[in-house]
Amino acid sequence: MPEITYLEGIRLGLQRLMRERPEVVLYGEDVGAFGGAFKVTLGLQEEFGKDRVFDTPISESAILGSAVGMATQGLRPVVELQFVDFGMTAVHHLLNNAATTHYRTGIPVPMTVRAPCGGGFGGGPFHSEELESLFCLMPGLKVVYPAFPSDARGLIYSSVMDPNPVVFLENKYLYRHVKEIVPQSFEPVPLGAARVCRAGRDAVVLTYGAMVHEALRAAEQLASDGGYEVMVVDLRTLKPYDADTVLTAVAATNRVLIAHEGWRTNGFGAELSALVADRAFHLLDAPVRRVAAPDVPVPFAPELENAYRPNADKIATALLELMEY
Amino acid sequence: MSKKAAKAEVGAVGKAAWLAIMRSMMLARLAEERLVRLYHQGKIFGGVYTGIGQEAIGAATTAACGEHDLFTPCIRNMTVHLGRGECVLNVFRQYLGRATGPTRGRDGNVHYGNMKNGVYAMISHLGAMLPVLVGGVMARRRRGMDTVGIAYIGDGATSTGDFHEAVNFAAVNDVPVIFLIENNKYAYSTPNSDQFRCKRLADRAAGYGIEGVCADGNDAVGLHLLTRELVAGLRAKPRAMLMECDTLRMRGHGEHDDASYVPRELVEEYAKRDPIRAAWERLMKEGVVPREALDQLERACREEVDRAYHQALNEPPPDPATLLDGVYADA
Repeated sequence: MPEITYLEGIRLGLQRLMRERPEVVLYGEDVGAFGGAFKVTLGLQEEFGKDRVFDTPISESAILGSAVGMATQGLRPVVELQFVDFGMTAVHHLLNNAATTHYRTGIPVPMTVRAPCGGGFGGGPFHSEELESLFCLMPGLKVVYPAFPSDARGLIYSSVMDPNPVVFLENKYLYRHVKEIVPQSFEPVPLGAARVCRAGRDAVVLTYGAMVHEALRAAEQLASDGGYEVMVVDLRTLKPYDADTVLTAVAATNRVLIAHEGWRTNGFGAELSALVADRAFHLLDAPVRRVAAPDVPVPFAPELENAYRPNADKIATALLELMEY
Repeated sequence: MSKKAAKAEVGAVGKAAWLAIMRSMMLARLAEERLVRLYHQGKIFGGVYTGIGQEAIGAATTAACGEHDLFTPCIRNMTVHLGRGECVLNVFRQYLGRATGPTRGRDGNVHYGNMKNGVYAMISHLGAMLPVLVGGVMARRRRGMDTVGIAYIGDGATSTGDFHEAVNFAAVNDVPVIFLIENNKYAYSTPNSDQFRCKRLADRAAGYGIEGVCADGNDAVGLHLLTRELVAGLRAKPRAMLMECDTLRMRGHGEHDDASYVPRELVEEYAKRDPIRAAWERLMKEGVVPREALDQLERACREEVDRAYHQALNEPPPDPATLLDGVYADA
């Protein structure tokens, strides 16, 4: 069985889609022969031709808007935003065009927007943002955020095959840092299903993206230092999210920590916290806690970015406080 | 073109085609006049936005296109919808927010389309439909259709980033789309002088490396002949182009707006060039369509508008229980 990176997982998913589905086309800035800023699409133009894999001008509005047009005419466009941060110049196409079309007109819009996000590598304020809660606000969009290579492969497949517009968030730090031995063939991973990636009875960390790996490290630390068994739930899809798995995990552990890389106020953790307060208040032994980025632009200098970005140590500290409540 | 050649060309288009163009214009005018009246009587929920005075553009250009072509009409383009085969009944259903209408009460007034006719439903953000149309045309062509697209926008929308991105994107990819700018002199209340500095908007084509043409937007006959030629050219050699049509909005931005900022002399000048009357007179003068046929057409349009309004009025509004339906398409 081959060992693949997160980045290769996405590429393998796309490659299989393009082999099986002639209606899948892929475009964006520098995604053709160059293979994209992160090389996710490397080799795809060579295999599938310039008709199906092509470069565009630096025009996020034209990219997202044209994808809406294509998706309503029988294609399944997959477009790449070079960085999720850059998509903000064109976000009206997601909010107003892509997300509203089916509700207004009954026409499905099967388009997928791939958007690298997250920090941890000195990208500064405009190459490190985490904007999932912005997309999650928009009725009509689905939002997917894998943490593992196998999920990246299986979720990109399901995202592209979904009849709705999907924002597929890719964590840049994970692109090459996470590897996994996987079988050659794969089943698509269904959207809307979370995964318990570590069992535990003392507390649960609800998380996604890069923080899944930080939470797993923190859980290991607590297991060896304090003998606590901490469950880790990877949400995988943020909209629609898997409330059943979350509530089952809360019922099994009674202590909840929510961890995400992006901003705290109005971040996705606020939604999860509200869910738990609403549906599982009676099951809690302690108040729900959040580990998230402070409400400041993503800073550049490593000293500042380390202070800014949540990590295993910050999660472990919060978990200990949660256990001692 | 000499007068004689032009006359021969008008004749060659044929009576049926001209009557179809006249029908779109008359139906739209009569339907919009009815909507204006209903608005001021307080019988319409929300606003009313008309294309009165601009009917020639949608009618003449859609009639020059084929079955697989695609269109993104804008606010003042009821004649694009009607020209592509939409029924006036759906227009009233839409304005009255009926469950039977094209958006089932989920959207209102001019935000409707019909993909059977190749017509997208616009969103309010001006310029935002341009890249959508470019993508739609690319997709249909990739699927083997010989599609050409027409994107209708006003002078104001040419100031948006979407306009620039879409025109450049289409130019770079040789997508056969006519970006048709209806220059009606005012974007809501803002005159051309506060909107752009170039002499004519069609001049911008040079900056994109594409062709730009100017046309009289109130001359349905001339516009139809020109568009036939342009569409044939784009089919033969796929490429993007700009087309600027001179016209004037004869009502406010919407019926809530008295348009007192438009000089009276300008309105009077364009009133003399009413597109429906101008086409009517020319077609009669050139002997292509007899007066009786036009009179008969107008009577039929009046009856159709009347019937459509009353039918839509008696149809059911959407059931609040359906509020959550259709946000997502079923997998």
